[in-house]
Amino acid sequence: MLNDPQFTYFLFFGITITIACLAAVIVLKMRAIKQLRSTVNNLKRSLDEMDEQAKLIVRTDIELNKAQEELDKKIGELYALQKLSREITTTLEESQIFQKIGSAELGELGFEKAFAFLWEAKGFKLRLSLGYETSNLQRVITMINSEALYSEIITKAQVLSSASLSKQNPQLKEKICRVFDVYSFVITPILPKEANKGFLFVGTKNAGTFISAGDEELIAILANQLGQAMDNAKLFENTWRAQQDLENKVTERTNELTLALNEVKNISRRKTNFISSVSHELRTPLTSIKGYASILLAGKLGEVPQEVHERLEKINKHSDELVHMVNDLLDIARIESGKVIMNKESVDLKQISEEVSDLMSVQLKEKGILFSSNIAQEAKDVFADRGQIARVFINLIGNASKFTPSGGKISVNIRKLYNFAQIDISDTGCGISQEAQEKIFEEFYRVDNAVNQQVKGTGLGLSLVKHIIEAHGGKIWIKSEPGAGSTFSFTIPLAI
Amino acid sequence: MPLHVGIGLSTDNDPQKAARECIRQARENLNFTSFNLAVVFSTLDYAHPTVFKTIGSLLENVPILGASSLAIISSQGIFKRGIVILLLAFSEDIHLSTACSQDIRSRPIRETGRQLADRLLSGLKNVPRDFGIFFADGLIPDSSSLLAGIQERLGRSFPLAGALASDNLAFKKTYLYFNGQVLSDSVCGMLWGGKINFGLGIKHGWKPLGKPHSVTKSSANIVYEIDGEPAVKFYEEYLGNEPSRLKSELRHISILYPLGIHLKGEEEYLLRNILFINEDGSLVFQGDVPQGCVVRLMIGTKESCLMAAGKAAGEANRGLKGNPAKFALVFNSVSRNILLGRQSVLELETVKEKLGENTPIIGLYTYGEQAPLKSIGYHGNTYFHNQTITILAAEG
Repeated sequence: MLNDPQFTYFLFFGITITIACLAAVIVLKMRAIKQLRSTVNNLKRSLDEMDEQAKLIVRTDIELNKAQEELDKKIGELYALQKLSREITTTLEESQIFQKIGSAELGELGFEKAFAFLWEAKGFKLRLSLGYETSNLQRVITMINSEALYSEIITKAQVLSSASLSKQNPQLKEKICRVFDVYSFVITPILPKEANKGFLFVGTKNAGTFISAGDEELIAILANQLGQAMDNAKLFENTWRAQQDLENKVTERTNELTLALNEVKNISRRKTNFISSVSHELRTPLTSIKGYASILLAGKLGEVPQEVHERLEKINKHSDELVHMVNDLLDIARIESGKVIMNKESVDLKQISEEVSDLMSVQLKEKGILFSSNIAQEAKDVFADRGQIARVFINLIGNASKFTPSGGKISVNIRKLYNFAQIDISDTGCGISQEAQEKIFEEFYRVDNAVNQQVKGTGLGLSLVKHIIEAHGGKIWIKSEPGAGSTFSFTIPLAI
Repeated sequence: MPLHVGIGLSTDNDPQKAARECIRQARENLNFTSFNLAVVFSTLDYAHPTVFKTIGSLLENVPILGASSLAIISSQGIFKRGIVILLLAFSEDIHLSTACSQDIRSRPIRETGRQLADRLLSGLKNVPRDFGIFFADGLIPDSSSLLAGIQERLGRSFPLAGALASDNLAFKKTYLYFNGQVLSDSVCGMLWGGKINFGLGIKHGWKPLGKPHSVTKSSANIVYEIDGEPAVKFYEEYLGNEPSRLKSELRHISILYPLGIHLKGEEEYLLRNILFINEDGSLVFQGDVPQGCVVRLMIGTKESCLMAAGKAAGEANRGLKGNPAKFALVFNSVSRNILLGRQSVLELETVKEKLGENTPIIGLYTYGEQAPLKSIGYHGNTYFHNQTITILAAEG
C-alpha cells in the first residue's frame, strides 16, 4: 500500500494541507499574541501612569495633611490661649494671676511643664511650677539664680526656644533641656512696666514636639498677657489704695465738721437760752414801768401837767414797743429751742387771708393801696398752727403795706406745688437790694432805707416768720429788685 | 451570677489621690463587694511604683493587669493625663488565669512568648481555654516573634488580642502593670475560659494606592529590597523626598502612609509602620514582613478611619451573638490619635454609638495591636498589626 502512488499522492496532499492549516493557525496565533502583547503593554503603561498618579496623590496628601495638622494644632492652641488670656486679664490680684495657668491649660498649649520666675530684690522667686516634683524645685531655683543667662533674658527681652537654640547654640540648648528635664522648650521674658519682671518657661518631654515660630509667638503673647495683668493688678491696687486714702480723709473731715457743727449748735442754743432768760427778766420791770406810767396817766395820783402827760404817753408807747419786741424775741427763742408746740390742724388760707386784710383795711385804705388775692382751690387748705400762720400773714402783709407807697398794690397768690401750698405776697414797694436780701431774715437786721428811717421796727418780724415757717417744714425766700417791688414766697404743707 | 463591671477614672494631678479616687469610683460602680480582676490603663504621669503599691494594697489579692499609654480612653472621654480602672466580679463558672513574663530582651523573644503561654495554661489547669489577652512592652524589637511564641503553645488559630504599651511618643520607656508592680521589658496576659463570651472587631480603614510591589529580600521585621531595589527607594519614589528629609519625617510619614501587606483570603491589608531606616537603605518595621509577599503603599483619611472604627465596633458586637456587651476594651493605635488629632473623640463616639451609650469602655493607645484579621467568629490566625482599632467586647 505504501507503494501505491495514489496513496503517496494523497499522503503528500494531506501533509501539505495540514502544514498549510498549521501555518494559518500560527499566523493567526501570532497576530493574537501581538495584539495581546500590545494590550499588556497598554495595561502596563496604564498601571505605570496610575502609579505616577498615585505618587502625585500621595505628595498632595502629605501637603494637605501637614497643613491640616498645623492648622488643627494652631486652632487648639489659639483657643487655649484665648481662654487663658480671658482668665488672666480679668484677675486683679497679682498673687492670683499665675494660679490661673493649670496643667489642663498648659496641655492645650502643647506643653506639660512650666515655670514662672519673677525677679524680687536679690533673686528669682518662683511663682508657678507645673509638672515638676516638689523635691526638685529647690535644685532648679538654685540653678536659675546662679546663671546670668536668665537675667539676660529680661534685660535683653529675648525669647529662647529649643528650635532657635539648636542652630545658634546647641550646647546651651542641651544645658537648658537638662536643667528643666525637657525635650523642647520656650522661654520668654515677662516684662510688666510697673511690677516685678521675670520669665516664663514652658517645655515638654514629648520627643515628637517641635517648636515652631508660631509656638514661640504664642508663648510670648501669653507672657505679655501675664505682664499686662500684673500691671493692671498693680494699677488696681494703687487706685484702690488712693481711694481708701480719700475715703479716710473724707471721714476725718466729716468728723471735724460734725464737731464744729455741734459747737455751733451749742453756741446757738446758749444764745437762745440767753435771749430767752434776758427777755423774761426784761418783762417784769417793763410791766412795772408800764403799770406806773398808766397809773400816772390815769391821774390817780393827781392831775399831771400837760407836758408830763405827753412824756408819760411816750413812756407808755415805747414800753408797748419794748413789750412787743421782748415777746417776739421770746417767741423766736422758744421756737428755736423747740419749746413751742405747733398745734397743727387743717387751716383755710383763704379765710386767714381775708381776716388779715380786714384787720389791715383801715391802714390800706388810708394809703390807697389796692389789695387783691388769688387763691387756688386745691391749695387753700394747709396743715398748720392757725395762730402762727395768721402771724406770718400779718407780718408779711404788714411789711408790704409799710413799704408800698400810696396808690400801690399788694397781692396774695396761693397755688399748689407738689405737696405744698406756695404763698406769694407781692408788693409794688421800693424793693430790696441783693445784699440786703441775704440778711433780711436775720434777727435785728433792718434794711437801710428811707421808710425804715421814719418807721420804727424791731428787726425781729421776718426772723420770727422764718422760724414759724421752718417749724412747719416749709421754706421762705424773697425775690426783689430795688424800685421794682418785692415778692415774699413761702411754702406750707397741704392738709391731707 | 452574671458578670459585674465597674469603672473608675481620675485625672487628679496627685497620682496617689488619683489612684484612690478611681478605685473608689470603680467599687461604687461595681455595686458588688468582692471582685476577681482589675485592668488598669494610665498615662506616664501615674506609671510609678508607689502608685501601684497603693493600688495593689487597696485591691488586696486581686490580679491587676494593665499598661501605660499616650492617653487613656474611657466611656467619659479621652484624657491626655489620667488613670482608668476596670473591676470585674464573676462567679466560678468563669475561669481566669493571669501570668507575667519578664526580661524579654535577655533571650530570644519567641521564648518569652512560650513562657507566658505555659504559665497561663498551667494557671487555667484543665479548663478549656477560650480567649487570650496580653499586654507587652511597646518598645521590644520584634513583637511578631513574641506572638509566634505564644501561638506555639496556645495554637496558631487560638483567638488572641494583644496591645503594646505606649509612652508620650518619646519612644523611650513603656510600662506594664502586673499585680502591685510596674514593669518594663515584660509581657503579661490573661487566659479566659467558661461562661464568658468575647466579640472582637479590628479595622484600620487604610486603602491601597499605586501598583503592587513585591518584597524581594527581607528577614523578620527588616525589609532589604522591594522590587530588587533598596527598600527605602520605595518610599522615596512615592513621597518625592530626599533621603535626609525622609529620615527625619519618617515616623510621621509611615503613620499616614504605612506599608500594606496583602494576605490571601483576608479582607483588609495588614499594615506596618516604619521604625527607622538603616544606612544600607533597608527599612525596619514594627512587625514582620515576609519575603516574597506583595506590598502596597497605603493611604488613610480621617473619614475612612472613623468609618473603620464604627465597623470594628459593629463586628465586636456581632461576636456577642445578640447579647449586650457588659464591657469593652479598646486597643487603639497611637497613629490614629496622631491622624485624627482633635477628632479622636469622634472615634470614641462612633464606638459608643455601636456598643451602646452606657457600656463601660476602657482603652489605651498602643504601639501595635495583635488580633486575627477576620474578626467575625474570630477563629483565624492572629497577626501583629499597626494602625488598627481593636475592640474587644465581652458578655457573661
